[in-house]
Amino acid sequence: MTSRVALRWVASAAVLAAAVAFPFWASRAEPYYLQIAINVVIFAVLALSWDLLARTGQLSLAHAAFYGLGAYTSALLTLRSGLPVPAGILLGGLLAVVVAGGLGILTLRLRGIYFAIATLAFSETLRVTTNQLRFTGAATGLVVPPLLGGGRVAQYLVILGILLLVIAISAFVNRSRWRYAVTAVRANDEVAATMGVNVVQVKVAAFMVSAFFAGITGAYYGHVFLFISPIEVYSLAVSVGALVAPIFGGLYTTAGPVIGAAVLRVGEEILRTTIRSGYLIIYGLILAVVILYMPRGLAGVWDALWRRRA
Amino acid sequence: MVIFGVLRSGLYSLAAVGLALSVGVIGIVNFAHGEFLMLGAFLGYWLFASYGVDPLLAIPAGAVGIFALGAAAYRSAIRRVLRAPELNQMLLTFGLSIFFQNLAIILWSGDPRVATVSYKAAAVSVGPLVVGLPQLVVFVLAMTLTLALYAVLGRTRIGKAMRAVAQNRLGASLVGIEVDRVYLLAFGVSTALAGMAGLMITLQLSVSPFMGLLYTLKAFAIIVIAGLGNINGVIYASLVLGLSEAFVEFYVPGGGGWAEGVFFLLILLVLILRPRGLFR
Repeated sequence: MTSRVALRWVASAAVLAAAVAFPFWASRAEPYYLQIAINVVIFAVLALSWDLLARTGQLSLAHAAFYGLGAYTSALLTLRSGLPVPAGILLGGLLAVVVAGGLGILTLRLRGIYFAIATLAFSETLRVTTNQLRFTGAATGLVVPPLLGGGRVAQYLVILGILLLVIAISAFVNRSRWRYAVTAVRANDEVAATMGVNVVQVKVAAFMVSAFFAGITGAYYGHVFLFISPIEVYSLAVSVGALVAPIFGGLYTTAGPVIGAAVLRVGEEILRTTIRSGYLIIYGLILAVVILYMPRGLAGVWDALWRRRA
Repeated sequence: MVIFGVLRSGLYSLAAVGLALSVGVIGIVNFAHGEFLMLGAFLGYWLFASYGVDPLLAIPAGAVGIFALGAAAYRSAIRRVLRAPELNQMLLTFGLSIFFQNLAIILWSGDPRVATVSYKAAAVSVGPLVVGLPQLVVFVLAMTLTLALYAVLGRTRIGKAMRAVAQNRLGASLVGIEVDRVYLLAFGVSTALAGMAGLMITLQLSVSPFMGLLYTLKAFAIIVIAGLGNINGVIYASLVLGLSEAFVEFYVPGGGGWAEGVFFLLILLVLILRPRGLFR
């Protein structure tokens, strides 16, 4: 058992070292890979932060809403009032937190499908509104100033740092007393309430943390790819991507969503260059197959393999 | 304006009543509902473009075809998650939706297509009012089909079986109803209704692989307004949606774009204020 724990630490350290060293190699050898790596890490942050809320049993389709809110807040602040980009990104995340607090208090009483539909409706309302308003650039979108002067290596390290922060929070939630509170709320929130867990508080807190990371990631996305439009940042694809990765990788774990995100995004890139149109069909297949045949995702498969060997 | 809203609500009823059936009888919230509608629309376009078949005449064939597809989807996938957590059911239908949408993109490319029937621009006057002929025909047909479904549910044996299963799966199976077959039928009919709505859309609007999501969402809005699982409220809820969209289009400046958001606002308001729906 202790050797397995040691093995995990060594493996984690090796992955981290590789992740940090990667851009220095890629920026010289193949800048295209660095671009993909940034995409993978963005996707991983979205997936893991989505999973944080999912642990309380709430399936949100509002990740795109916070992603878009963050992107637009930061873009408008840096463009119109000349705020430095990092401050804009932070404020984008904070606005997402405030909005999530309000939305959460209103909608987190709803369960299951009702909550999913309400959050989807919220995202789409924001998209339509942004599409219509003149000061957000309407449907044409906005050209956004670059983060850190556009240096790809530094930008990569920033988003990697954000990912490490979410990983730390996720690991903390899964190892501390929070784990019991969150799991109880997911399994049966009435029983959890009877046991003294403040259900609403736990859910709203999870929603706000989850929204914060969606917000700063959206803002970051804008400042790295230099252009945002309503149809892109408020896209249902953002919310769907954020939920497919955890389901594929393994729900309610720390490693599952991150690994799921990496595998899916790299796979998507390969498919996109080979099939071109309609390559997203694979997402549909993966979702269906995973739910029908491996409901615990890659993490479940991994556990089963370990157990068979032990 | 009122006429526009009312005419539109006929098609909305037909698109939503199938989803209400699936939610009410099987308890499955089908995110792929709009994709069956989209496939019906493509079937209509394809029959019209290749064989010159009028989309209205293609409705029976389309209904049978989409019924078979829906039944196959039920058999191969939906049936396995009936007892699984709600989350898994939703995600599975989400997967189906993504699958069908991209299948359509691969088969027919993402470009929108238009079937121009000879009477597309024809108008008829009803009393003092002038309305488009296709709109009127579609309204009458869609309403007839929706009311026919109500009659089937209310009067026939199979309709009673469906309502019994909806109320209590175990109880229904104890009195000798084959629940699995009723589910299969209900899901097939649900998708066939969507397919027929799709064929009717071919008459009026362009057809594209991306159209499904919009109708899934509008159908959701309608069944949320009606109250999830409440099949009878669908017509009234469609009227609410059709009229409020028409109202926004006519009275709000730049209304065309805002109308897209009306149904989301309606969903949000209803869910927050009266989560059990307006019509029950």
